Amino acid sequence: MRATIVDGLALGLRFGLLAAGLTLVYGLGGVLNLAYGQMAVVSAMVVLFGIDAGVGVLPAIGMGLVAGAVLGLIFDLTLLRPVYRRQGESRVLLSLLLSLGAAFMVDGYLSWRYPFRSLSIQIAGGPMNIVGVRLGRGVVVASGITIVVLALLFVLFRFTALGRAIRSVIEDEQGAQLVGISPRRMLRLMLILSGVLAAIVAVTQAMVRPVTVTTGFELTVFALIVTVVGGLGSFAGAFLGGLGLGIIWSFAASHIGNFLSLVILLGAAAITILIRPSGLLGVKE
Amino acid sequence: MLEVSGLSAGYNGNNVVHDVSFHVNEGEAVMIIGSNGAGKTTLFRAISGLLVRSAGEVMFQGKAISGLPAHRIVRHGLGFVPAERHLFPRMTVEDHLYLGAYPKRPDPETMSIVLDLFPRLAERLRQRAGTLSGGEQQMLAVGRALMSQPRLLVLDEPTTGLAPKLAAEAYDALAMLRGRGLTVLVAEQQVPLAMALSDRGYVLENGVIRMEGSSAELAENPEVQRAYLGLV
Repeated sequence: MRATIVDGLALGLRFGLLAAGLTLVYGLGGVLNLAYGQMAVVSAMVVLFGIDAGVGVLPAIGMGLVAGAVLGLIFDLTLLRPVYRRQGESRVLLSLLLSLGAAFMVDGYLSWRYPFRSLSIQIAGGPMNIVGVRLGRGVVVASGITIVVLALLFVLFRFTALGRAIRSVIEDEQGAQLVGISPRRMLRLMLILSGVLAAIVAVTQAMVRPVTVTTGFELTVFALIVTVVGGLGSFAGAFLGGLGLGIIWSFAASHIGNFLSLVILLGAAAITILIRPSGLLGVKE
Repeated sequence: MLEVSGLSAGYNGNNVVHDVSFHVNEGEAVMIIGSNGAGKTTLFRAISGLLVRSAGEVMFQGKAISGLPAHRIVRHGLGFVPAERHLFPRMTVEDHLYLGAYPKRPDPETMSIVLDLFPRLAERLRQRAGTLSGGEQQMLAVGRALMSQPRLLVLDEPTTGLAPKLAAEAYDALAMLRGRGLTVLVAEQQVPLAMALSDRGYVLENGVIRMEGSSAELAENPEVQRAYLGLV
């Protein structure tokens, strides 16, 4: 029982971080990035090639994070240009279609060029006891990193001038313009940040189980589910939704069966949005 | 200080205001009066950069600002308070005042001027904007604009949705700001209030300037009296 909850929390934290990168970009600019998982996978491949080239694991991870940031920037400068010329629903729809197309291309290229490659990061040392539950060292380190990153994000949004500016754009874009904030610049920053988050998700995921070249869509789908449950555009919602769904997944997997856990997860997501269409902490439109 | 010449603007290629020209001198208070739908909001949105103009030019302190995006125009010293206010509902009063000064840190002196002017805001620094009353929201919108230390304050119908007593209070605050040397441009349907504040005014009808003159002249004008002052 306790083990199930701890497992669920560890998974939930990663869900939360995964969703944060997607939900912030959506909340800020109405851009739904369905190539988010592929950003994570490409970053993972950069880490892999770095390790292959013998630069060492930590520098390779650094390269992966930089790759994530660059991917976010490229996404902003190229694919999203036509998207920014539209407003409202038409913007969401176009961003969704274009990023889905990009996702297919990246996925196709990677599975053709590197079909059997995957990134695993081994953390030295045996399992550890956390509150009386034996956890693999990889899970512990991954959860630790995730907690630190989530805490840093929280501090950024709550307590810095930049965070206040970002929140103001989420709240009212024209209001933000009237105090001298460029929503376009904030969105670019957010996309770069979301690329870095995708890379961190890939690295922490690789500490727990291999990240293969075809993991992209799975990551995007989980990010979407968590985002919808937590409320589009809400950072705290992504966190809560992630933890909740992580625990549900963990219970389903240990008490009912692994094969049904995805079904149960989707069921829980569906019930949440039936009861609260805007998600746990979403803004009502 | 502000020189608008031949400005046309609208939505989806249909102009709502046509070839509008007017000016505001430094230290003046100028009103644009007109009924609902006359084009006041469209005109002000085009000046503030929230709406892209289709023709014409706006000069502010000798520089062309037409064509600049809204966030750049604010930094030139033109503060705009829109009729819909565009506050950030889930953020606190304090957040708004800090954001008003963005990207600089808020100037303590400006902060104390704003809080002296609107003591209600000082009592509610930690309260979220969405939970404020209409009058308080209007104060916050003006306070936020003042935090950027504007040279010119442009207000679109500051009395929208306010009870008569609060509307009068809003104009008392504007009169006080004028006393401190701030230049003010205001669009208003509640003409008597705006008239008491302003030196000069323009009458906007169907998107064109129909009349102009000092507030005293306009108050004497029989057409203005009939249409805007409720006198026969």
